[in-house]
Amino acid sequence: MIDTFFSSGTLDTPAAFFASLLIGIVFGAALEQAGFGSSRRLSGIFYFRDMAVLKVMFTAVVVAMFGITFAKAFGWVTMENVYFMPTLYAAQIVGGLVFGVGFVMSGWCPGTGAVGLASGKIDAMVFLLGAIGGSMLYNEVYPILALITQNDRGVIFAYDSLGISEGSFAFFFTLIAVGGFWGAEYIEKKRHGKGDQWGSLFLKVFSVSLFVGAFGLLAMVGTKAYAPATAAQQEENLLAGLQEGLDHIEPRELADRLLGGDPSIILVDIRTPAEFSKFHIRSAINVQVADLPVALASRKNQGLLILYSNGMTHPAQARDSLFRLGFKNVYLLTDGLEGFIKICLKPVSLRSEPVPPVLVAKINAWRTFFLAPVTSAGETASKAKSSTALNLSSLTLPGLVETDWLITNLYKSGLKVIDLRAQPEYNSGHIPGSLSLNPESLRGLINGVPSSLLPANMLAEHLSMMGIRPDDLVVLVCTDKLQDATLVGMACERLGHSRYAILSGGFPKWQAEKRPLDTILPSVEPSRYPVSNRQETFTVMAKEVLASIGKPGAIILDVRPADYFTGKKRDEARGGHIPGAINRPFSEDVSKTDSYSAFKSLGELAAVYAQIIPAKDTPVIVHCRTGHQASQTYFVLVHLLGYTGVKWYDAGWTEWAARPELPVE
Amino acid sequence: MNPYLAGVLLGLTLLASYLILGAGLGASSGIARVGAYFELVLAPARTLESKYFGSWGEQPLQYYLVFMLAGVFFGGLISALLAGRCKFEVERGAKCPPKKRLLFALAGGILAGFASRLANGCTSGQALSGSAVLLTGSLLFLVCVFAGGYSAAWFVRRQWDD
Repeated sequence: MIDTFFSSGTLDTPAAFFASLLIGIVFGAALEQAGFGSSRRLSGIFYFRDMAVLKVMFTAVVVAMFGITFAKAFGWVTMENVYFMPTLYAAQIVGGLVFGVGFVMSGWCPGTGAVGLASGKIDAMVFLLGAIGGSMLYNEVYPILALITQNDRGVIFAYDSLGISEGSFAFFFTLIAVGGFWGAEYIEKKRHGKGDQWGSLFLKVFSVSLFVGAFGLLAMVGTKAYAPATAAQQEENLLAGLQEGLDHIEPRELADRLLGGDPSIILVDIRTPAEFSKFHIRSAINVQVADLPVALASRKNQGLLILYSNGMTHPAQARDSLFRLGFKNVYLLTDGLEGFIKICLKPVSLRSEPVPPVLVAKINAWRTFFLAPVTSAGETASKAKSSTALNLSSLTLPGLVETDWLITNLYKSGLKVIDLRAQPEYNSGHIPGSLSLNPESLRGLINGVPSSLLPANMLAEHLSMMGIRPDDLVVLVCTDKLQDATLVGMACERLGHSRYAILSGGFPKWQAEKRPLDTILPSVEPSRYPVSNRQETFTVMAKEVLASIGKPGAIILDVRPADYFTGKKRDEARGGHIPGAINRPFSEDVSKTDSYSAFKSLGELAAVYAQIIPAKDTPVIVHCRTGHQASQTYFVLVHLLGYTGVKWYDAGWTEWAARPELPVE
Repeated sequence: MNPYLAGVLLGLTLLASYLILGAGLGASSGIARVGAYFELVLAPARTLESKYFGSWGEQPLQYYLVFMLAGVFFGGLISALLAGRCKFEVERGAKCPPKKRLLFALAGGILAGFASRLANGCTSGQALSGSAVLLTGSLLFLVCVFAGGYSAAWFVRRQWDD
């Protein structure tokens, strides 16, 4: 496999920008040379007057296809070092049709438009301005397109869709392309009386070469002879590495490097969580063997991944299987944890061998460092943070993230995981690097109403103390009380921080899936979270609720349990509900499995709320008693289902019931 | 240049892009990011809050496809200058008033800009790069571009009347 900017995670570096610029220059020159600096020529294909678009495009596709397919056969290109776009049927079909209309109207497409601009074509400039406008328009309507832009089918290859081999698909594709070339020449000959290349020696030689290439491909890919060869080669590399002893690190070297704060080391303890919690080498993270590939994916071939356990067998197997997955930076701690304790941490007084004074000093330093109770050190988090930036493009924010996503991105910079469970639970084991927050600390007495979400400046203080910055992605981890996460989400929104997501299934799911945990308190560097002057618009007061009573089209959604809605139970001054309010208990949006709770499926939620709320922009006010449960319904409606007219009456029934002038039903 | 040779050059460029960058060619992302940049300048808070542009952060131009788009412009410029094909004009049929042609170009641009975001790519990113690696969705996109183009061609044909 070759290293690409994509596989090494450096597509956002100046070197990649420069490479892209150079590739772009050749790309632009090729388009210009093809005559695509002319809209008349580009649009010619739609009127059968100039078939250059077909000739150039199909040639380019076939040439690149040959190259890629050969590269795949040789193992140079895999799913890991090249980005393949996922398939989204509806978006690509509708997008293609609309794009085609735009293409024929303007005579340009984005790449050729840039070339047209360079060639002085004013229509190209107008086209590009239009395309910028079209992109902005897309940004505006993006939330309502969620249905067709989120049905991601993953990477699908056409040969798999058709159930044929890659080689035969490529072969037929080449046949079609060559047929297309001759057809295009024929059309031009009919149209203009002379064909550019019809029957020319060039086209004959070109067609034959493509056939030869396609046959070669069929022969190579069809037999699939490459797979065992690559595997054998990998085994060879593995053996070579083992023989050179390059796969071990000595305990003393590790101890020195950890003491020196070497940021490139990720130390992984692969013993059971129980053993890990009794004792582990400081800064180690606990990952079970089966989870290693996923948990370490973001550190593949970056820095040193050092595995240890007791003795040697089990990490060696883990190392070999990681190596087969392409990890070339996995090392084993010689003689495992026991060796480390014996060589580095055994007190000098208990040693039978003579110890030189230099080593005595070192042993004492190591003992101080590795045996000290961990208080606020939290090396793991700070050290393990890699410099690779988070890629948020696959996420819709605010929204949900899956445990798989979190484990892959856990050690990336710009991610802040916030654990909302009670502190004793947090202290006895949490997602590595996660911060603890009690959601209640974000509420207080505002305007005489208890349990109101604090104003922005006070929330900003909280976020600052947790070291959160405006461009961080905040991932909220709760128990089965999803409303804890959504309440903290409301706090983020009050600050204009839309980069937050809720971990699907919360901590219980993470735990059920046996994902890594640790007990280290992360070190936090306080930030200064800015308070925006922008007025927040989603919270409403009693007077706005009052105004919407009986207003046609407006909906008041009371999300408290049914008994409180009917007045059968009450824990406030008055029972009942706001006149005209509809009851949809928040708990009905959640489904429970044996081990965790999560939101019901989007389809199920969409269907239920479509019955209650007529349109996506219908004005809706959600409330409960204190604003806590209503924050969950708010999240479901706004961020999962794309409703745009939803407001949150935070003060809720607490205030409504206490003010006798407000009507109750 | 012989269109087939230009096609071979384009195909090799695409291959180089896959082997060096690990991703195909692209043009419309660069354009959209310029749009996001404009919006950020005009209304920073609103843009950062929006779901699509907001996900690109405060520096949407720090992206490889923006640099590639700049490259396309310069590559086109160099090639057009060397070939003596640089000329300020509104390209149109002789009988079509320039205003009408520009209106079509603008409307077509809006549609193409919108559609390329919807489909996550344009002729470069989807039709060319995605088809070359035989992705189902990209090949569908390619077919649909021609289906859309041919069905609308008749209605906008007058702009090329000589």
